[in-house]
Amino acid sequence: MIPFSSVSPLKILEKSSQGALGAGNLGVLIARAGVGKTACLIHIAFDKIFSQEKLVHVALEEGPEKVMSYYSVIYYDLLKALGITDDYEYRMRIERNRMILAYLNQSFDLDRLRNNLKNLAEGLQFTPDALIVDGLDFEKTDRKVFEGLKDIAQEAETEIWLSALSHRHITEVNDHGIPYPCSQIDDLFSLIVQLKAEPSGIFLSLLKDHDQPGFPDTHVRLDPNTFLAMV
Amino acid sequence: MNTIDNIRNIGISAHIDSGKTTLTERILYYTKRIFAIHEVRGKDGVGATMDSMELERERGITIASAATYCEWKGHRINIIDTPGHVDFTIEVERALRVMDGAVLILCAVGGVQSQSITVDRQMNRYEVPRIAFINKCDRSGANPRRVVRQLREKLNHNPVLLQLPIGLENQCKGVVDLVSMKAFYFEGRSGDEIRTDEIPADMRDQAGAAREALLDAASMYSDDLMEAILEDKVTEPLIRDAVRSGTISRELTPVFVGSAYKNIGVQPLLDAINSYLPSPLDVQNTALDLDQDERPVPLETDARKPVVALAFKLEVTPYGQLTYLRIYQGAIQKGADLMIIRTGKKIKVGRLVRMHADQMEDLTTAQAGDIVALFGIDCSSGDTFTDGTLHYSMSSMFVPEPVISLTISPQDNKSQDNMSKALNRFTREDPTFKSYVDSESGETIISGMGELHLDVYVERMKREFNADVTTGMPQVAYREAITRQAVFDYIHKKQTGGSGQFGRVAGFMAPSSEGTYEFINEIKGGAIPTEFVPAVDKGFRSCLEKGLLVRFPVLGMNITVNDGKAHSVDSSDMAFFQAAVGAFKQAYMKAKPVILEPIMKVTVEGPSEFQGNVMGAINQRRGIITSSIEDGAFTTIEAEVPLAEMFGYATTLRSLTQGKAEFTMEFSRYAKVPESLSEELKTTLREKSRGDKK
Ligand SMILES: Nc1nc2c(ncn2[C@@H]2O[C@H](COP(=O)(O)OP(=O)(O)O)[C@@H](O)[C@H]2O)c(=O)[nH]1
Repeated sequence: MIPFSSVSPLKILEKSSQGALGAGNLGVLIARAGVGKTACLIHIAFDKIFSQEKLVHVALEEGPEKVMSYYSVIYYDLLKALGITDDYEYRMRIERNRMILAYLNQSFDLDRLRNNLKNLAEGLQFTPDALIVDGLDFEKTDRKVFEGLKDIAQEAETEIWLSALSHRHITEVNDHGIPYPCSQIDDLFSLIVQLKAEPSGIFLSLLKDHDQPGFPDTHVRLDPNTFLAMV
Repeated sequence: MNTIDNIRNIGISAHIDSGKTTLTERILYYTKRIFAIHEVRGKDGVGATMDSMELERERGITIASAATYCEWKGHRINIIDTPGHVDFTIEVERALRVMDGAVLILCAVGGVQSQSITVDRQMNRYEVPRIAFINKCDRSGANPRRVVRQLREKLNHNPVLLQLPIGLENQCKGVVDLVSMKAFYFEGRSGDEIRTDEIPADMRDQAGAAREALLDAASMYSDDLMEAILEDKVTEPLIRDAVRSGTISRELTPVFVGSAYKNIGVQPLLDAINSYLPSPLDVQNTALDLDQDERPVPLETDARKPVVALAFKLEVTPYGQLTYLRIYQGAIQKGADLMIIRTGKKIKVGRLVRMHADQMEDLTTAQAGDIVALFGIDCSSGDTFTDGTLHYSMSSMFVPEPVISLTISPQDNKSQDNMSKALNRFTREDPTFKSYVDSESGETIISGMGELHLDVYVERMKREFNADVTTGMPQVAYREAITRQAVFDYIHKKQTGGSGQFGRVAGFMAPSSEGTYEFINEIKGGAIPTEFVPAVDKGFRSCLEKGLLVRFPVLGMNITVNDGKAHSVDSSDMAFFQAAVGAFKQAYMKAKPVILEPIMKVTVEGPSEFQGNVMGAINQRRGIITSSIEDGAFTTIEAEVPLAEMFGYATTLRSLTQGKAEFTMEFSRYAKVPESLSEELKTTLREKSRGDKK
């Protein structure tokens, strides 16, 4: 059996200063439409779930059924890649450590999320080590919301990973090399990772590493079908 | 008008109280099947025509699925009534099987609720194309746009409005048709007279934008329409064809609006059924060929082919048993012979009828695509009929195992008779409802899909059959399964006077990951003569009915027999059967059996303020919450909960949420009872089974 860490896209963090995002911090994955943001976020989720950390997946565009089906597609790819045949223990870990919160019809707001997290903690003793927030529209979201998310991350002592959609036609990049739509709010993020499709494959690079600049020139190459790191 | 492409076999599916009964009655009125409109549960006490059973009326839900026939603009429409209640899974599924399309009714205020989600999921499984009707646009708080969004977000449909309401709430006056770009108003005493007019001036912009959206969505399913849009030559038939192909391929859900109660929008909905829902020719049906190991074979909606028909519903009438049939292939004549595939019995078609809302019409012939009924045929629901030349079965239908049971006892002799009659009837109607007499306790036991499922049959027994019965506590249908491999080597030997009995069976049992039973024959050199092997298989099989741990059925295992011995005189089927039973007993406990319990998928929906309470209560019931969905002011919580913990949940939920939340549940899977509970459960179940024997 191959250890998950050797194929996880989070391998990119091996090179980072702290090796992880860390509680109280926000991280973001930037990519254009269709490159595989959700798949990549779900790998991050599995990384947590399999190491017995509790994860809340916040879905803003899709219902849980869709989200679960994404997870299961990626899960079976993972089993194959890792050569796992008896997956009972892994399924139990998913069952115990994953919670999906979906917000349909623009019903997402910070108070609601805060309240939902409180209910999870009080009703279920479910206190997440990480949150994944998929589908937040960065262009239409005020800086205040990101600040609020950062507050939530600190109050709940959890890390939060978000995905941001970039566009081919907007090439804006700030002084630190952080592209649109994160160029104005990069101070709020501890880790900024970019996912790029190139003719030769899919590449993940670290643009910001806590207090240090990233190293945009080193990449982790991902399998374009499974989004697992290629060695 | 007798062509197959003019037939529509449709279901009307709805969350309770969204207006299915009212809409159905309006349909039957406009198609001239009934001659007056009664209010549902109206003061005249007549009620809507489809709600035939007293019990249904009392509970305000539709339980039975019947079919009724009507005609609209040259089309023959069979309305198959779909129960809105999820506890009746098998009834819903059987109805879904025979319908080619469906109308999904949604309340303009309540929108997509949890039961609609369950029924919609089932419709997906049976690949039923549907159109949506947003009813009750006249009610205060009506918000059709929100319902359209919910269709997209909660049910994953690709909805497109084909109409807009003219006014909402008490201003609701008519509909704008986005295909013809006209306004329709429904006048006269019961909305019979449709007045066509220009779109009201203040709605023109809105209608224009909605039409654009419709063209955008529809053009995905027709290159012709796409071209016509570019050349500005769009015609109504082009739009209709495009919407029709999108609907039939289940990629598009056309949405209509109105108010059944106020007689607004019903006739255009009938037009839409004709225009957009499939005819039997548009649907591919398959049967299983029993001569070819149940290989799926396509059926042809063609009257000249040999007959294949499915009995999907039984009803008792004063004239005898009525069997509803969907004919998939061939034609049935009055007086013809048919064969019931399950029993191999031949029957003669005496009376062949079509059911109208108010009467029966005798037919001499019916053909592929039709839904008809036979009189006085002795069969079960779900039976396949053919002309005898084909050995096909339609019933690959997914029949879930019962998860709950209870004892039932009649109070006197007359009730005893009536109870037997009732049980006989119910078990034929509903394969998920079972009844048997426990051989050890002598008690009659009924089993089914949930507390409410059994409740309703017990009630029906009292009301329709006059059987005075009492019931025991509901009992969860546990299962047993082994968790490791164990060997056996058993000799059955008996010497009593004349000829003796001798058989030796050796091999091992192992857990089955699929939960099925498999017999693996690895006997070498004729150690067990081939003729006795089936008896060995049978012996093991018989042991699965009651496990040795807590006397519940064993959920499959793999048995490998690799050695044995026979005696030239004393060996027999009987001896080897007994040897297998002995071998099973020898190995079973060594294979570390565990108790499995049914796990239900539970969905609770209610105002968001109750999320915490609902979650806590599920958690206390050993439930695992998988997700929580926020939508507007509502939260839907999805969880997996052991059935054993669900007793009385309805009451708990009511008091936790002031009656503002509702829940549905369906069987999900079997799972091992946690270590911490299994010892106690073992003791209880063993004591109970000891008690039963006395
Ligand atoms: N305001 C309004 N009430 C309706 C409409 N359709 C049905 N109702 C009422 O809603 C209740 C439930 O309707 P019913 O047809 O029995 O619903 P079912 O449970 O889906 O069969 C009844 O009181 C009806 O009179 C409608 O279009 N507008």
